[in-house]
Amino acid sequence: MIKRPFIGLFQPKLKYDLLEADPKEPEVVPVPSNILLLLNDSLDSSKITFIKKGDQVKKGEKLFLYKESTEHVISSVSGVIKRVESYAGEFGNIKTSIVIGNENNDDFVNDFKEHADKFELDAAAKFLKLLPGAPPLEILADPAHKIHTLVISGVDEDISSTVRQYFLTTESADLKEGIQILKKLTQIPKIILTVPEGISVDTEISGMQVFNISPVYPDALPKMIMKNQLSTIVPQGKTCEDMGVCFISSEAVVSIAKAYRDKSIHFEKIVCVTGKDGVRKRMKVLIGTPVISILKQLNIHTNENDRIVIGGPFNGFSTFTVYHPVGPCMDSIIVQDSGSIPYVSDSACINCGKCIKICPANIPVNLLVRQLAANLFEDAEEKFDLEACIECGLCSYVCTAKIPIFQYIRLGKHELLKIKAEVETEGANA
Amino acid sequence: MPNRVKLTVSHAPFWHDGDSVCKMNLTIILAAMPAVIFGIVQFGIPALGVILLAVSCSMFFELMMNFATKRSLSIGDFDAALIGLLFGMMLPATTPWWVVVTGVFVAIVIGKQIYGGLGANPFNPVLIGVAILMVSWPGYFDFDGALLNYEFSHEALAPLAALKHQGVAAVDFFSTTQLLMGQQTGAIGSTFGLGLIIGGIFLILRGCIKWEITIAYIAGIIITALIFNLSDSGTYAGPMFHLFAGYTLFGAIFLATENSSSPVNTIPMLIYGFLGGLMVILIRNLGVYPDGTVFAILIINLINPLIDYIRPKALGRGVNNA
Repeated sequence: MIKRPFIGLFQPKLKYDLLEADPKEPEVVPVPSNILLLLNDSLDSSKITFIKKGDQVKKGEKLFLYKESTEHVISSVSGVIKRVESYAGEFGNIKTSIVIGNENNDDFVNDFKEHADKFELDAAAKFLKLLPGAPPLEILADPAHKIHTLVISGVDEDISSTVRQYFLTTESADLKEGIQILKKLTQIPKIILTVPEGISVDTEISGMQVFNISPVYPDALPKMIMKNQLSTIVPQGKTCEDMGVCFISSEAVVSIAKAYRDKSIHFEKIVCVTGKDGVRKRMKVLIGTPVISILKQLNIHTNENDRIVIGGPFNGFSTFTVYHPVGPCMDSIIVQDSGSIPYVSDSACINCGKCIKICPANIPVNLLVRQLAANLFEDAEEKFDLEACIECGLCSYVCTAKIPIFQYIRLGKHELLKIKAEVETEGANA
Repeated sequence: MPNRVKLTVSHAPFWHDGDSVCKMNLTIILAAMPAVIFGIVQFGIPALGVILLAVSCSMFFELMMNFATKRSLSIGDFDAALIGLLFGMMLPATTPWWVVVTGVFVAIVIGKQIYGGLGANPFNPVLIGVAILMVSWPGYFDFDGALLNYEFSHEALAPLAALKHQGVAAVDFFSTTQLLMGQQTGAIGSTFGLGLIIGGIFLILRGCIKWEITIAYIAGIIITALIFNLSDSGTYAGPMFHLFAGYTLFGAIFLATENSSSPVNTIPMLIYGFLGGLMVILIRNLGVYPDGTVFAILIINLINPLIDYIRPKALGRGVNNA
C-alpha cells in the first residue's frame, strides 16, 4: 500500500507498476477438479432452467440459463454440472454460479471454427466476446455506437497489474496480427495504441498512432486518456463509447489473434496476484478457476477477516468467498491481511480539501459527499456534478476523515439510475 | 463448500494514504509547541496553568457533549484538545481560571458541538470563545494590565495597544527582530513569531493546513498595511510591525486555516485569506480594537460558504455533445 509522503504539500504520486525488464513466462495453475462460472443472469424459481445439475457439458459449450436468455457463459472444461446457484454481486445484482466437475476429457465443441476464415464482426461478437481480456466486440458490432476510434490499451488501468503490459511487450507479434484482424473486422479508420512511458515496443503498423501514457494513476483510465491524449472531454453521464471511442485491452487483441490463427477459442487468462507480503506474480489460469486454487499454488493462506480484492486497489471489488472464479476481464487479485486493511469511518467531512485537490474531474467532493450522505441524489447530480465522476477512487484514498466517498458516489449513481427508471415508467404509465 | 473462511467484504478503494483526523490534529499540536513552550518559559507557571486548564476543560466539555448528544466519543481525534490549546495560547498568562473555563465552554459547546461537532462548525470555535470573552470581559485582554506584575527585559508594552493609544511613535519601541524573537507583551502563544513561523512552515510542508490561506492572509496584511503606511506614515504603522505584532501570525497559521470554516478551492482560499488580512488591518487602523484578528477571521468565516462557490467546472460539465 502506498502511503502519504511525509512532505504532504505535494500530491501523492501513485505510480503504476511497470513491467520488469525481462518478464518471465507466467506460472501455470493446474486445472482444478471443479470450475465455477458466473453467469450474468438471475435464477427464476417459476421457470425451468435450461441447464441443470447432472447435465454433461463439453468444453467450449455455450451455457444458457433459460431458452430465451441472451446472457451466456462458455464452459472452459468438459464435465458434469454439479450445482446451479444464485450468487450475490454488487448493489443487489444477482448472478448465477454454475459449478462444473472437470472430467479431463477432450470433448470440445468448436462452433467458431467455421467462422474463423470469414472475418465477420457479428460472428466474432457472437463467439469471441468471452475470450480472455473480454473484447468489447458487441459494442463494436452495434451500429448504434458509431465507433470511429479504437484504442488498444497497452497500459493497465489500475495499479498492481502488469497483464496488459505483459501482452504488449512479450506478444507483440500476436498483437500486430490481432490489430490487423480488428481492422479487417471493424473497418475502423483510427487505431491508437497506448503504451506506458518508459516501455518501448516495436509494434508499428501503418496508420496506427502510439500514445505514451504517463505512469501516474489515474492517467490510464479511459476518460483520462480521452481528455489528455484525444482532447475529447466526455460529457457528464456519457461513456467513451457514446463519444465513438472504444477501448480494448492488449490481452483481448492477442486473444482474438490466437482465436483466428488456431480457429478455436482458448480459456487461459493471465492474472497478476499480489500476496500479503506485496510480492506480485503473474499466473496463467483457466477461466473459471476459483481464486483459492491460485492462492494454494502460491502458498498464500487466507484467514478470517482477510480481504481478497478482485481487480486493482482503486477500481476492484472485494469478494466474500475464496471460490470466486477467474473471469475474462479479471486482471489482478490482491490478498490483504486482516491487520493491514485500512478502516473506514462514519465521521463527518472535516472540509480539509484534500479530495478537491486530487480530484481529476474537478468535482466539489466535499459538498457532494454531504448531499449523498443525506440521500439527496438528484441535487447531487444537478448541483454537485455527481455524474462527472470518472471513478478513480482517489478521493477516498486521501480522505483524512476516512469517509467511504467513492462508495457514496457509486451508490449515488446507482440510486440515480433507479430514480430515473422510476420516472420513466411513471411517464410511460401516465 | 468446505473451508468457508469469512472474508472482509468492503468497497473500493482498498488502499488509504494513512492520514487521519487524529494524526492531523496531533501534527498541528506539535507545530504549536515551539510557541507554547516559549510562552511558558517567558510567562512561567501561570501560563502552563492556563494552557493545561484550557486543554483539559476542552476535552471534558467535549466528552460531556458526547454523552449529552448520545454520540460516539470524539475526544480521541484530539480536535477538542487542539481547540483548547489554541484557545489557551490566545489568553494572557494571568487569566483567572473561571474566564478560561467559560471561554472554553463557549468554544466547545456553542462554537463546535451545537452545530454537530467536527466538521460542521461554520465559525472557528476558538474564535467564538475568545470573541465572547473579549466582548464580555475586555479587561482581561488588556495585556498591559494583565501582565503588570511581570518584569520583562524588553519594553513592557503590548505593541498593538501601544500603537492604538500612543500613535505610530510607539512603533519605535519595538524592532522587528524583537517582535520576531518574542520580546513583546502579549498572549501566551502569540508572541514568539519565529516559533510560529517554524510551526507554520512545518504544517504547510506536511500538508496539514491550506497554504494558500496562510500566504494570502499574510499578503493581505502586508499590502493593506503598506497602502495605509504609504498614504500617511505619521498615523499608520508599517507592514512589518503589523505582521509580527499581536495575533497576526497566529491567526494566519492556526486560526484562518481551520478546516471546517474555511474554503477548499484555490481561488476562494486566496480571496478568503486576503480578505482576512485586509480586515485585520482595517480594524486595527480604523476600528476601536487594538487587534482585529479575532473579528476579522470571524467575518471571513461568514463569507466562506459564498465564495467557495467559485470553483472550476467539473469534467464534462456543459460540454456540447460532439
